[in-house]
Amino acid sequence: MTATIRFFARFRELLGTDIQAPVEAGATLTGLVRRIAKQNSEGYEAIFDESGNFREFVIIMKNGKRIERGAAGITLVSDNDEIAVFPPVAGG
Amino acid sequence: MIAIQHEDVDIGALVRNAKEHGTGAVVVFDGIVRDDDIRQIELEAYEEVAVPELRKIAREASEKFRLLHVDIVHRIGRLDIGENILVIVVSAGHRKEAYEGSRFIIEAIKAGVPIWKKELTKQGGRWVPGEHPHGSGQPGYHIS
Repeated sequence: MTATIRFFARFRELLGTDIQAPVEAGATLTGLVRRIAKQNSEGYEAIFDESGNFREFVIIMKNGKRIERGAAGITLVSDNDEIAVFPPVAGG
Repeated sequence: MIAIQHEDVDIGALVRNAKEHGTGAVVVFDGIVRDDDIRQIELEAYEEVAVPELRKIAREASEKFRLLHVDIVHRIGRLDIGENILVIVVSAGHRKEAYEGSRFIIEAIKAGVPIWKKELTKQGGRWVPGEHPHGSGQPGYHIS
């Protein structure tokens, strides 16, 4: 199984985007993003706190729908899912 | 017209097109790259989510303020000082609804549409922090 991870803005600069990640059965959204983010310590620290939880301001989406930070740890990732992770928006 | 695009937009043409039957007021919001001692600005969007969000905001504004026509064009890519970033054109029967509808749309975009901007300076670059850093800065959140 494979999922796509899309980082935006500062997170994209640190970690890249459109990352094709292999997903094992039972993988959670938090676990998958942690694994990818660990490839760059600055990127990991921008997204996760010392306990390995998503920082308060981080916004997470799965297939275009927002996932609450608290639910990301129990949300399973399936084949072909698109996970987006980004900082607060600043358009306009 | 609801769009996220690199190209600039012809505001005059949008205004002409906004004059639906019954229009008594057209309000144009034009967000510009300000000279904050920067060289350029770079905008990025999660387009697959941002465009439907803009459509939803336009629908909500139309219903809430009885707007007759709504255009939202948000640009992405690198823009120079003085260039248009965001153009909102609304028409309504009366000025009150047109002004309020336009304001609703810009505030909703700032609160929740996944678009980011980075100021490019002589020293490098800095991401502009969102105005809603905690909780509300998320798609689907609208000022009511």
